[in-house]
Amino acid sequence: MRSKLELSFISIAFIFTCILFIIIGSIFLIPSFEGFINALFSDEIQFALRLTLSTSIIAASCVMLVAIPTAYSLARYEFPLKSVVKSIIDLPMAFPEIVLGIAILMMFGNQFLGNVLQNLGIDIVFTTAGVIVAQFFVAFPYSVRILYSTFNYVNPRYEFVSRSLGYGEFETLKNITLPLARGGIFASSVVTIARCIGTFGAVLLVGGGTYLKTETLSIAIYYNLSLGNIDNAITAAIILVVISFIAIFVLEKYAYKDMEGV
Amino acid sequence: MFLEVNNLSVNLGQFHLVDVNLGLEKEDYMVIIGPTGSGKSVLLETIAGFYRPQSGRIFLEGKDITHLTPEKRGISIIYQDYVLFPHMNVFENIAYGLKKRIEDKEVIESSVIDAAKRLKIDHLLDRNPETLSGGEKQRTAIARSLIVEPNLLLMDEPFSALDVNTHTYLTDLLKKAISDYQTTCIHVSHNFNDVWSLAEQVAVMRDGEILQQGVVADVFSKPRHDFVADFVGVRNIFQGEVVDGSKGITDVEIDKNLILHSSDTYNTDFKEVMVVIRPENIIFSNQPFVSSIRNQLKGIVTEVVLIGPTVWVEVDVHGTSFKGIITPSSLDMLGIKKGNEIYLSFKSVNVKLIDND
Repeated sequence: MRSKLELSFISIAFIFTCILFIIIGSIFLIPSFEGFINALFSDEIQFALRLTLSTSIIAASCVMLVAIPTAYSLARYEFPLKSVVKSIIDLPMAFPEIVLGIAILMMFGNQFLGNVLQNLGIDIVFTTAGVIVAQFFVAFPYSVRILYSTFNYVNPRYEFVSRSLGYGEFETLKNITLPLARGGIFASSVVTIARCIGTFGAVLLVGGGTYLKTETLSIAIYYNLSLGNIDNAITAAIILVVISFIAIFVLEKYAYKDMEGV
Repeated sequence: MFLEVNNLSVNLGQFHLVDVNLGLEKEDYMVIIGPTGSGKSVLLETIAGFYRPQSGRIFLEGKDITHLTPEKRGISIIYQDYVLFPHMNVFENIAYGLKKRIEDKEVIESSVIDAAKRLKIDHLLDRNPETLSGGEKQRTAIARSLIVEPNLLLMDEPFSALDVNTHTYLTDLLKKAISDYQTTCIHVSHNFNDVWSLAEQVAVMRDGEILQQGVVADVFSKPRHDFVADFVGVRNIFQGEVVDGSKGITDVEIDKNLILHSSDTYNTDFKEVMVVIRPENIIFSNQPFVSSIRNQLKGIVTEVVLIGPTVWVEVDVHGTSFKGIITPSSLDMLGIKKGNEIYLSFKSVNVKLIDND
């Protein structure tokens, strides 16, 4: 016999999971099959899909390259202002993405920095590069968070033993630390790429959301919905849901299983 | 001196070392004992180069290694929790250090097999570390450390996670392996049996300080510090002469006609030995009783002292004084008083023999 508390808590869990599932599932029921296919192969959605995937892959790769050393140093080394660095990295997770977007826009739209970058041939504001920059800063804190707990989880004694057996710092990182952290690194990559794909506010402000230039899938939902083009909007949404499902599935199946061994 | 640690101070917040001095000759075996949190592990890890000391110097074979990176020191370390690399099998774990030094795969393979045979794990080479028992894991860790023939082997409580039988078995294997590889060892432990069975040198540590260091017999017979005396807790120390070591039990004469039986095997190099019995291992009774206990002596109570929750009882046996410890309720029950006759019993396994220098 289950207790009252047990029963009521399980009911809450069930009811709200059901509601969530119905909400997500309902978008699959709205468009006609024909409308979906037409929208899927329309120039706009095809472009948005390609742009979203390519910028996200580039942004996520850059995030991982920076997040691994950042998270590792936070987990292993003591240095001045360490707690400040940690708080600053966590900050974007707490405040709205659109605020991050406007901050990036102001930063790179700034006369001085904008001119310096333009002279170097780099245009950030309202370009594909801007999309990538926005995705980078949105996803970076999440990536560092996961990697930080992963590296904390790897006992430093593994590294000590490797060093004592004659391997230098870099060799130890390559032979021992990264292989032991591979589950977390994988999980972090999946979450990072999912964050990059799904980001909206920051990408809209920094990239500009120009039709067939910097319009990502989430921006396509917003534009098409406001123009009354429901099929395109819902199709973009379905693509995002499918990508999220794949991400979660991959995460559950591979990353967590891998982390158990460490 | 093979290893010389001079005035080493380390501050890691929670753990610290204060002016640690330590000296070790080649092929010495030192056990460092001390209560939990006394900084024993930090000392080992600083010698290995994982922590930078605030001050002090470490010399290995006359060379100043204080600022050398760990990989250049040639010092191996073994931990209580084995720290086998989970993404490598037993063979790869043992071969890991050798691969850095040797290219030739055949040489690596034969060395690994040789080391595995010495530690009796040659049948486990394909196994994953997580499928091994604690004892097998620790033998793998020992093989991995010894195969690179380190200048110095550091062991941090290597046996404390193992059961008694495995502990004894591993102690014997380790003894043999370190003599094969001619390794100098520092072993951190809280188990006095490790001191009796392995150590030539012992150091007692408390709060990041080494209170006393020296050959085992000296430290135990002449503690220079109250804490050392308390911690080692030995009050019965006698000089003795082995009269018979042939029956698996060693008979030691500590006074005329006073022979004690010890289950420690007798090292034939020494006839003179030091005999150590911890006071809590002595059982008091008013009558002799029949049992498997090998040592039973009759004496006269000369002193009864209440110290805190325990009672110290001193008994004179034909001119030799034994000290035991009991609870006040046992004191009442047995009616122990100064001048009474009393019987002392203690098992041969609790009579420890230390080779005299």
